[in-house]
Amino acid sequence: MFLNHFEYFAPKTPAETLELVACLGSKAKILAGGTDLMVVMKAKAISPDYLIDINGVEEFKGIFCEQGKGAVIGTNTKLAEIQFSEAIQAKYPALAYAAGEVGSSQVRQMASLGGNSCNASPAAETPTPLVAMDAKVVLSSILGERELPLEEFILGVRVLDLAEGEMLTKFVLPEPKLKSACRYAYMGRRDAMEIDCVNMAVTIELEDDGEKVKNIKLVMGSVYPRPLVSKEVTALLVGQKLSDQLIEKAAEAAQGEAKPIDDIRASAEYRREIVKVLARRLIKEAYTDAKGV
Amino acid sequence: MEKKVLKSKWNLTPEGWNLEGVPSSQDEKRYTQVGRSVPRIDGPIKVKGEAIYTGDMTLPGMVYGKIKRSTYAHAIIKKIDCCKALKLPGVLAVLTGDEAPNKWGIVPQAANETVLAVGKVRFYGEGVAAVAALDEETAEAALELIEVEYEPLPVLLDPFQSMERSQEVLIHEDSKGNIMHAGEQVYGDVDKAFAECEYVLEREFHTNYPQHGFLEPHSALASYDTQNGQLHLWASSQIPHYLHRQMSIVLEIPMNKIRVTLPTIGGGFGGKGEAAPSEFVACLLSRKVGRPVKVVYDRQEVFYTNKGRHPCHMKVKMGLDKDGYIQAVDFDNTLDKGAYSGWGIVVLFYTASMIHLPYKVPNARFRGRSVYTNKPSTGAMRGLGGVQPRWALECLMDEMAEMMGISPYELKLKNAIESGHTCINNMFVPHSEFKKCLETAVKKSGFLEKQGKLPFGKGIGMAGGYYITGTAYTLYQNYKPHTTVMIRVDTEGGVTLLCAAAEIGQGCNTVMAQMVAEELGIQYEDVHVQSGDTEIGAFDLGSFASRLTYAAGAAIKMACVEINQSLKETAAGMLGVRADQLVIKNHEIYSMYEIKKRISWEKAIEVYTSINGTLVGMGNFSPPRRKGIDIISGNRVQGANIGHSPTFGFSSQVHEVEVDVETGRIYVKKVTEAGDCGTPVNPMCVDGQVEGSIMFNIGACLYEDQKLDASGKHLNPNFHDYKTPTTMEMPEMDTNIVESYDHSAPFGVKETGEGAVQPTFPALTNAIYDAIGVRFYTLPITPEMVLKALKDKKEGEL
Repeated sequence: MFLNHFEYFAPKTPAETLELVACLGSKAKILAGGTDLMVVMKAKAISPDYLIDINGVEEFKGIFCEQGKGAVIGTNTKLAEIQFSEAIQAKYPALAYAAGEVGSSQVRQMASLGGNSCNASPAAETPTPLVAMDAKVVLSSILGERELPLEEFILGVRVLDLAEGEMLTKFVLPEPKLKSACRYAYMGRRDAMEIDCVNMAVTIELEDDGEKVKNIKLVMGSVYPRPLVSKEVTALLVGQKLSDQLIEKAAEAAQGEAKPIDDIRASAEYRREIVKVLARRLIKEAYTDAKGV
Repeated sequence: MEKKVLKSKWNLTPEGWNLEGVPSSQDEKRYTQVGRSVPRIDGPIKVKGEAIYTGDMTLPGMVYGKIKRSTYAHAIIKKIDCCKALKLPGVLAVLTGDEAPNKWGIVPQAANETVLAVGKVRFYGEGVAAVAALDEETAEAALELIEVEYEPLPVLLDPFQSMERSQEVLIHEDSKGNIMHAGEQVYGDVDKAFAECEYVLEREFHTNYPQHGFLEPHSALASYDTQNGQLHLWASSQIPHYLHRQMSIVLEIPMNKIRVTLPTIGGGFGGKGEAAPSEFVACLLSRKVGRPVKVVYDRQEVFYTNKGRHPCHMKVKMGLDKDGYIQAVDFDNTLDKGAYSGWGIVVLFYTASMIHLPYKVPNARFRGRSVYTNKPSTGAMRGLGGVQPRWALECLMDEMAEMMGISPYELKLKNAIESGHTCINNMFVPHSEFKKCLETAVKKSGFLEKQGKLPFGKGIGMAGGYYITGTAYTLYQNYKPHTTVMIRVDTEGGVTLLCAAAEIGQGCNTVMAQMVAEELGIQYEDVHVQSGDTEIGAFDLGSFASRLTYAAGAAIKMACVEINQSLKETAAGMLGVRADQLVIKNHEIYSMYEIKKRISWEKAIEVYTSINGTLVGMGNFSPPRRKGIDIISGNRVQGANIGHSPTFGFSSQVHEVEVDVETGRIYVKKVTEAGDCGTPVNPMCVDGQVEGSIMFNIGACLYEDQKLDASGKHLNPNFHDYKTPTTMEMPEMDTNIVESYDHSAPFGVKETGEGAVQPTFPALTNAIYDAIGVRFYTLPITPEMVLKALKDKKEGEL
């Protein structure tokens, strides 16, 4: 249960951090909250030679949320801050809710939003709603920055589209569209300290008539190596006025797309069953909310 | 009419009696210290984080011990090579099983465990070697350098498979058929009784493999003095004296050279009710290196080695006459013992005794066997031996009530025992308010108005239960008292209780202080408690079987008789009255007839000690020893001594659930409980015990199960994957203490720590049936099982 011997750096500025990331490359790991990193290091699943502790870098923390301009969230913003942020609760309630469902209160005080994505666990809570709301990640290096959708950043279990010398520095969330709503739900055995057996987020945007679906994005977590964006639900529901039958059909479509596995937490069969239930409930909920009823 | 308030300088009891002139024989219920929800004496330091646990302790020169664990569930050890480990700088010693081959175990007749495996490993994670090193990191690194060569044997993980394949492979050479022990108990004519029954039902039930989930892992710190051969062990244990004895056997040193001290204990629930390899390894290594050695398990090691609840495979048959009176019970139980015997025989026969209460059963038959498997051993866990059969019997009765078309409440009330009941196996219940428990829980929950009438997905269920208040027999094969206490009174220290009771978080130190204060006529804050030490305190059996409040209470009462008599005699001389007419209350000694003749208690102490020195009272407790016989034939019945107790506590619970019929998740919304714990010495502690008990078994009923893969390796040896319910899952609780006073018990007390775990499985299972119309016979009841059952039910209806 002991960590391997590593060299520890605690930079104070983004420039120092990026310099270290450039020099040390993949031999280094970024230490933000450490709630996942320390666990895998203790289990000897990884043994990095260097740790770069970014907790001293103020620029990596904080929520910048302006009316009409979406939001920018620093990579090392603690999940508890997101959970309790009034601005996030008002504009991105699904994200605030998902952040509040990670681990325990103690974990959320430590864990960061960036870490929850960079750990690239299929069961992670926050990537699901972030993908559903079209969040982008900003990847920085000493050479500059690039931006890409979160769903293209997380490639698989513990696999990221991160080049040597790059690190995730912030999330960019677009302003929610008019007549739209995003909702998140999860299923697990208990309501705290839980690793979800399925989680899901749905964003629905309506046409000006307030009835027909202009756009819908359903994202599933824990049923695929990375957040899985349903193609079929979008194809089925765009341009439609939703009915119970149509929602049921969409839920079954999502169920068909999910590729869950059997593990200690749940069987694949049960997970598929839950995908349908959550999809049905979330589409209804998001639709109702988007309509503003 | 307003009650007249008597203004008097003399104290009145809650009933309004004047204390004066009441003979003490009629005075037993006029308590001032017992029956109060006083704050726990260990509360503040625990809340502030200042309590010292074994893991917090450091001694000068202390080094660290760690245990290398088997990677096979069943294998012959061909070779252990420690050379490389010994060469690692910082490593002081290595220990292997053959260095301490004496067998230990809580039941002397069946002791078959060694400190580290000798020749063979029998479960995945069993210790095969240990190291002592200057720091933990070096110790861990050294374990990697120990090379063990194994020859794998077939792995038996299921008791039926284990019996079936016993010709091919034996887990213990001396246990034929892989059966640790088998027993049969027959009372009355069961077959004849069944033949005459109007209603007969038989079902099979299968329980799961949960563990205690205490927060503090097994921890031990040993210091062996090479100069005088004295060993001092600090350990997280529930049983300082049993541990003391085992240590003497394994280390081959006399008991008087060993001292066991309990620092603060972070929970036990039965899991620390046996000695643990951590304790032996710390002691053996300390003797080897001549320095203090600390061994603290990580959570994975706790899961590998801790002795959780026996999975039971039970066939239960019950017969009722046309009026619903139980005529016969036939109970067949196959218990999954895991690798070593431990508490095994005791648990086997506890399950047998559980069919005799809390309902009247005139004819009963038990057949049972405890079977070795290549799993971590099972052992004592809160409500040992009771939880599994209680679940089966209470669920069966729920089903039978439905057969008869009556409420399960009616069926249970009709058959409930009352005070003075003698069971067919000669178990005697001096006092019972079980009927009051059933009535209270049912009435307060509105059970009768709700059962069968709630919408689909919502349900309500009830069950009863009981548990022992200490055992009648020790495992010492010796008739000595089960508890001895000493109370010291002087002007310097005030009042100090010296004993070896184990405060494991259940609150015994607080409760004992209340009882001492009550007897001596002082306040509980005035009593110092020195417990959990085999050198400071005299013999105590330990904290298990819900025995301490009763046993310590009886011993305290006896010790206080001596003290009070000496003080009364001293005061009598000073006051010029007869000693036998004196009363001691509220720090005063006064004549019950001449109320002006009084002196302060402290003054009497001062006078007594100035003449005689310190005042000491000794007290002890031995339980009644009724034999386990068939009361009709008078014949001895094997194992039937087990289950007897000085008195019994009772509980009834009503659970209300909501089932999400789409996801299968079960939400426990409300639990109404009514318990008969006799006099609640500290009602707040009782509430804590009862709420804790209910959550404990909601966990094992719906969430908790240890999973092993086909090779016997643990799949969930951590709190990540072994899911206990959290506070988020805690239902609304309405716990009630029914009016009860057992005149045969000290202060009228009974158990409360284990009775309330008994009705939880069946009340919940019955509530789930009421919600969705499906009866479950396997635990834990998971969302997947619920969904599958609903699907099967739907298909069956089509």
